[in-house]
Amino acid sequence: MSIASDLIRGHTDTIILARLIDSDNYGYEINKSIQQRTDGRYELKEATLYTAFRRLEQAGCISSYWGDEQTGARRRYYKITDTGRSTYSTLLTDWKAAKEMIDKLIETEDR
Amino acid sequence: MEDNIRRYVDDLFSEATPTRKAVELKEEMIQNLNDKYRDLVSGGKTNEAAYNITIAGIGDISSLLAELEKDMENNRQTRQDTDASRQKSAMLTALAVMMYILCVLPLIVLNFIGFSFASQIGVPLMFIMIAGATGLLVYNSMTKSNSANNSDTMVEEFREWQSDDRDRKALRKAVSSALWSIILALYFIISFTTFAWHITWIIFIIGAVIESLINVLFTVKKRR
Repeated sequence: MSIASDLIRGHTDTIILARLIDSDNYGYEINKSIQQRTDGRYELKEATLYTAFRRLEQAGCISSYWGDEQTGARRRYYKITDTGRSTYSTLLTDWKAAKEMIDKLIETEDR
Repeated sequence: MEDNIRRYVDDLFSEATPTRKAVELKEEMIQNLNDKYRDLVSGGKTNEAAYNITIAGIGDISSLLAELEKDMENNRQTRQDTDASRQKSAMLTALAVMMYILCVLPLIVLNFIGFSFASQIGVPLMFIMIAGATGLLVYNSMTKSNSANNSDTMVEEFREWQSDDRDRKALRKAVSSALWSIILALYFIISFTTFAWHITWIIFIIGAVIESLINVLFTVKKRR
């Protein structure tokens, strides 16, 4: 698990951008959907999540705004920008290329 | 338990300078942690277990806080730069005012000592000084930077909110000072060419009227 986490950590930005492609979302919902997609096997630490938000926002990939919930406290939502969309597709292409190569490099014939 | 979460996060942020970014991050974290905690409880966890899982999920935020501090240091740097430019601007204005006041001095002194070409030398000198002073004022208002805008503490946020009004006032002041330099120059030009000193003072009254008109114009614009 922890080794897999290390492998995944390098793709935190891609993972977060992917969660924002369809709709704006806030921290906990993003993390929850990551958890659900991995059947509870992977989840970001809060520290990792907010560091990534900050980095992505500074890079102009996402923007944030405070929602106006009628009940309860207000949540900070994140929205993907056009820059973010193009960054996402680049990262995705890069990953697919890397995955294909790594598969070829580390798998042996006699499986 | 939600109070405990707030207290825990407050504690994490206790060393951080309460800039707008830091306060917002803290509120965002508390909000999200509470959501997670409530989800865990409704999923069947005991309060105790849910709290522990929530807190354990935070991880190490020290490097994130360090980045926030660094941001603040950078902002402080730009603020110091702004202070320096403010000082320079004050010095230029003072110099210009001094030139306005002293501009008649050569003429007076030359006349006083009975120099035969007193007005031929004194008057051009005076105009050169007026022109120089006006140039300084114009240069000053054109190079004035508004770079204090990337502020970060909440106090500065408030200042920024006020600065719209301040910009308007600055413009009005600039217009007013330019107007009076022109009026003063006109007064001397007309007086020295016509030697109608007994009547030329009326120029100042006309100037006052123009200034009031400009004020009215500004007020009307502001209302819109």
